[in-house]
Amino acid sequence: MSPLALGLSIGLVTILVLATGTPVAFALGLVAIGFLVAVEGPIALANLADTLFAGLNDFTLVSIPMFVLMGAAVAASRAGADLYEALARWLWRVPGNLVVANIGACALFSALTGSSPATCAAIGKMGIPEMRRRGFPADLATGAIAAGGTLGILIPPSITMILYGIASETSIGRLFLAGVVPGLMLTGLFALWAVFVSLWRGERRPVGPGPSLAERLAILPRVLPFLLVIVGVVWALYGGIATPSEAAGVGAVLCLLLVVLVYRVWRPRELWPILEATIRESTMILMIIATSILFGYMLSSLYVTQSIAQSIAALEVNRWVLLFWINLLLLVAGCFLPPAAIILMTTPIVLPILVAAGFDPVWFGVILTLNMELGLITPPVGLNLFVINGIAPDVPLGTVLKGALPFMLLMVVAIVILCLFPGLATWLPDQLMGPRVG
Amino acid sequence: METYVRIVSALSRAAAFVAAGLLLASIAVICQMLVVRHGLGRSAIWQNEFVTFALVAATFLAAPYVLSVRGHVVVEVVPLWLQGGAKRVLGLVAAGLGFFFCLLVFATSLEWWWEAWSEGHRTSTMWRARLWIPYLSLPVGSLLLTLQYLAELWQIATGRRPPFGTPHEVGA
Repeated sequence: MSPLALGLSIGLVTILVLATGTPVAFALGLVAIGFLVAVEGPIALANLADTLFAGLNDFTLVSIPMFVLMGAAVAASRAGADLYEALARWLWRVPGNLVVANIGACALFSALTGSSPATCAAIGKMGIPEMRRRGFPADLATGAIAAGGTLGILIPPSITMILYGIASETSIGRLFLAGVVPGLMLTGLFALWAVFVSLWRGERRPVGPGPSLAERLAILPRVLPFLLVIVGVVWALYGGIATPSEAAGVGAVLCLLLVVLVYRVWRPRELWPILEATIRESTMILMIIATSILFGYMLSSLYVTQSIAQSIAALEVNRWVLLFWINLLLLVAGCFLPPAAIILMTTPIVLPILVAAGFDPVWFGVILTLNMELGLITPPVGLNLFVINGIAPDVPLGTVLKGALPFMLLMVVAIVILCLFPGLATWLPDQLMGPRVG
Repeated sequence: METYVRIVSALSRAAAFVAAGLLLASIAVICQMLVVRHGLGRSAIWQNEFVTFALVAATFLAAPYVLSVRGHVVVEVVPLWLQGGAKRVLGLVAAGLGFFFCLLVFATSLEWWWEAWSEGHRTSTMWRARLWIPYLSLPVGSLLLTLQYLAELWQIATGRRPPFGTPHEVGA
């Protein structure tokens, strides 16, 4: 069987096994070892344990449980409520202020927690009822939260970027910085849309005086420390003071300390859920990483990766057509699979082709992340939609989707803007870390 | 069989506690390493390796518990679409495939661990860590996963647990 035909059968079998509802981690592992044994014989089993262990035996991966812990600590506190309250007070005069405050709170909270569904739950629980009480339509209120929750994987620290950094052998500090401007740009686009819809639909403006300056200042001490943690982590990284894993470890300790000091969460009964959530989330991601690496090893040792890359390169299509198809592939994959699996399986195949076509790998990391964001709010797997459905059960899923649709289109617009102006992603890392070598 | 399910759940939970302990230890070591490197200006010898091994071990040890609370991500397109008996059959197929993979990992990792233990394999770094210690997490974790899958299969087959669903939905 030719490597390409083999690749096709691997693809089909993988879809079939995943469709049974076997956990993604075990499904990928089973398909990988199945094909290795089928082609190379039972001798392939001898490497199974070592490949699984070696896949995770990487100090950079340590940053994942650390960032997850950082997020779990923040998610367990009232930090989400305070972020939302702070922005609502400061943005009192802006049209659609509540929606804008929600989007801003989602961006900050998801950057801190790195979890899109956790953000939807934390911000949405307060934001959605409040927006609807103030007369904002249900589709806008729910759609803004569903989309806002995805902003975090672009704004550092981001687990998606760490995985891409590992898979593409690109500097994680550089990738983090590359996500800053596009992340802010997308948050801005979302906020502009909220202002526009509010003006267009004739929002009911609140009467009476807004919060006083004293009230606005009073909430800052509870919010600013968390923002300082984000800035601190990024600063430690690009300043070369700490590796991603060390920065993540310190970020986790700082967030735990802040939760203990600011929110008085210190009893073992309150701390165990934080640890439990960390163990659950990071084990889920790392198991997928371990078997995705096994899957990648299988593809490359059966010469499938190289054959697919060569056949695509042989097509000699226009580089933008190539990028379009790769985006579409990522988007479709993102609708079904978690980002960790997609990044580790597709990067070794598509990155060499893109680099050969003259695209910047750091810039592509941002494009890839935007695609993964879209997948988080696209059915059938779009977890955010189900979280929103749980918070506001009276809003049909179709209405949430209708509200999320303009935001999804804005993400596509962001991808197009980044294609036209790649400097938006590469300018900040180049300024702070010097131009990329190689 | 119900006693078996209880014992396996307790073992998975115990392994998750060990994993949580390893996570806390890793954080402490990372902070200590930064103090040693930046505060005291000395080089770190064992810390990188310790933290990496601890978190790899934590992952394999916590995986059975994560399975018991249905925390491993599943592509739910077909399961959401099916109903009743067909859904249960699919649940059994999915759990069967997972069981088979974990059994395979257990069988192969046992020999791999034994080799590291009996031949005294060590890392090639200055710390020269004994590899059988971190390696042990893979046979232990995969054995517990296999046992946990057996419990899942029995519970799904007898209708004691829905074939699919998030931890929240199944009340874990």
